[in-house]
Amino acid sequence: MKVSFPYMGSAIVYKKLFEFLEHEVVMPPKPTQRTMDLGVKYSPEFACIPLKMVMGTYLEAIEKGAKVLVTSGGHGPCRAGFYGDTHRNILKSLGYDDVELIIFDAPQDNWRAFFRNVQKIRNGVPWHKVINRMYTLYRFVQKLDELEKMVQKIRPYEVNKGQTTQVWNQIHEKFDKVKTRKQLYEVYEECKQMLLSIPTRKVDEKDRIRVGIVGEIYVVMESSINFGIEEILGNLGVEVERSLYLFEWINDNLVPWILRPKRFKEIIKKGQRYIKILIGGHAVETVGHIIDFKERGFDGIVHLMPFACLPELVTQSLIPKISKEIDIPILSLPIDEQTGKANMLTRIEAFIDLLKNRKRGKTREIFIDNIQEDVQEERVVMV
Amino acid sequence: MKIAIPHSLLYYYYFPLWDTFFKELGFEVVDTGPTTKDILDKGSKAAVSDICAPIKIFTGHVIEGLKVADYVFVPRFARIKKPEYFCPKFMGLPDIIEGTVEESKGRVISPIINEKNNENISSPKIYEMLTEMFGFSYREIRLAIKRAEEVFERFKKLMHSGLSCDKALDSYRTGRWEEDLRRVKKDGDVTIAVLGYVYDVYDSFISMDVIKKLENLGVNIKTFEMVPQEVAYDNLKHYRKRLFWTFSNRVLGAGLHYLKDPEVDGVIHVTAFGCGPDAIVGRFLQYESDVAGKPFTTLRVDEHTGEGHMITRIEAFVDMLKRKKWAKLSEVL
Repeated sequence: MKVSFPYMGSAIVYKKLFEFLEHEVVMPPKPTQRTMDLGVKYSPEFACIPLKMVMGTYLEAIEKGAKVLVTSGGHGPCRAGFYGDTHRNILKSLGYDDVELIIFDAPQDNWRAFFRNVQKIRNGVPWHKVINRMYTLYRFVQKLDELEKMVQKIRPYEVNKGQTTQVWNQIHEKFDKVKTRKQLYEVYEECKQMLLSIPTRKVDEKDRIRVGIVGEIYVVMESSINFGIEEILGNLGVEVERSLYLFEWINDNLVPWILRPKRFKEIIKKGQRYIKILIGGHAVETVGHIIDFKERGFDGIVHLMPFACLPELVTQSLIPKISKEIDIPILSLPIDEQTGKANMLTRIEAFIDLLKNRKRGKTREIFIDNIQEDVQEERVVMV
Repeated sequence: MKIAIPHSLLYYYYFPLWDTFFKELGFEVVDTGPTTKDILDKGSKAAVSDICAPIKIFTGHVIEGLKVADYVFVPRFARIKKPEYFCPKFMGLPDIIEGTVEESKGRVISPIINEKNNENISSPKIYEMLTEMFGFSYREIRLAIKRAEEVFERFKKLMHSGLSCDKALDSYRTGRWEEDLRRVKKDGDVTIAVLGYVYDVYDSFISMDVIKKLENLGVNIKTFEMVPQEVAYDNLKHYRKRLFWTFSNRVLGAGLHYLKDPEVDGVIHVTAFGCGPDAIVGRFLQYESDVAGKPFTTLRVDEHTGEGHMITRIEAFVDMLKRKKWAKLSEVL
């Protein structure tokens, strides 16, 4: 089967998954403007940007010869749960009858359908091999995420501009070749050394700026849609941490609940201070992470959301209140196909300037005055 | 004690229930009245700019309600049918209000409506939180909600027999149930199914009274409330998976029902700008209308006003339907 999948974060992980299951993998091209245009052309106008972007990715993967597309469905009231079906409708109406779309819904919704999908995907690989390889993949994701976290802490202080990103790309190439667990650990050590040998500036603890990125999973994880916000922030000298990493997402959603780390529950509990019940999407987690980042001493938060994202609009409504109550500046950025990079850059730069000023101990009053003007001019919510 | 019930969102569907319930408990119920420009402006100012107009309007009603009453009723709709839910904005509604309306602190009554399968939302458990807040006994609540449920059942019966939501509400207010039932008349030239959530269609400000305008053009109206829940769901059987949202399913199901109805000549989908569920419902309705060969149009409403375009569009649509019908009739003759 020629299998393909949508992008979200480090796509080599998905590639590895299907390689381990002995499929022929069609690597979808990294989303570009063309992907977006294709997606926008065929999707419902008021669907959110992830649906459109994924639609575009599918069409490009099909161009490259993919016959089977694998994606996750959803669980709960966020409309993403229905996107697989919408995609299927659109593909059918475009005449791609020979392309199969496999949607993995949350297993607890329909065990039988889930198992059928697993059987299809398993491709006849014996179970003991599947389990062994999935464990390797699990560690693969973990190691890759650990390295990414290092990248985000090294990039702001690199001496040679762009070097960290370069190394990060090399790491991806190296990880792409990994076949066994033993190899994985070796490559990991090697890559770690590569990162540690990047020359960096010494920066005083009190001058470091740390920003947490929170929001809807697709726009947070997929750099092609958020304009590579982590890189932008890194190049501005800011340490970054996301609220979501693939490894943690797997732990929170796919690992049996007894084995799940406690962290997830704690985040939810924190989030429920402002949103009382789970409302779908990542709304409660977003709030929980904002509070968590503040408690861990971060200086600011960037909140990413697709335009008109249902759950994140609830979060966005609460942001002024949260920001005021726990005293942390929050920049909320809705993203859609109209969003321009220059506009976004300006906002981010202004935001980082504010964080720096604040850190240098300028009086809060002046700060608030400035911001209030900002609030009226743009939709930037801060304070 | 005064409690304000915002004249917005699911007010149009549940007001008789809540009104009866709170009155039985001895509250003085204040209805914040139809939406006005002033209410909308206040709501738009307080709410997040990207959120849909119905939520902005609701926020405006809450602000108004807080001026005249001690408490405001902001139910948290999670679900009324398993395994479906409400739109996330409904589920987070009290949180949104607390985040955007400062004076609401401690004055919001927000029971969590989380029913497995009860459209009447009349389990006394839901309203148990009132015992803590005001010291009612569980028995008092149980009796009050039982009485409210009876009224609501009557109200639903009116709708199922062909009265639209707002007319049934009028009957509830005036108490002329039986007479209104007899007055359900149909003598227009064409029949249109107007599909959309009650807070879009019946908010006379946001929808600019689309129903009345259509009726003045000699159109018979059919809406989703006239289709009983079971019938609506029956029409959805061929879908692989139900939508997540109860009322979206009802709208879609009713749409499919009307598309099969030979009396119905066309379909109008009324939707608010940026409505997430409708991005999907709209697409399905359009697809199914194409299949059924019935004219379909979308009226998208938002907080901006300007009636011209709306009148032009519905007139053109009705005109087209009338001509189509005439053409068919003359063929037969």
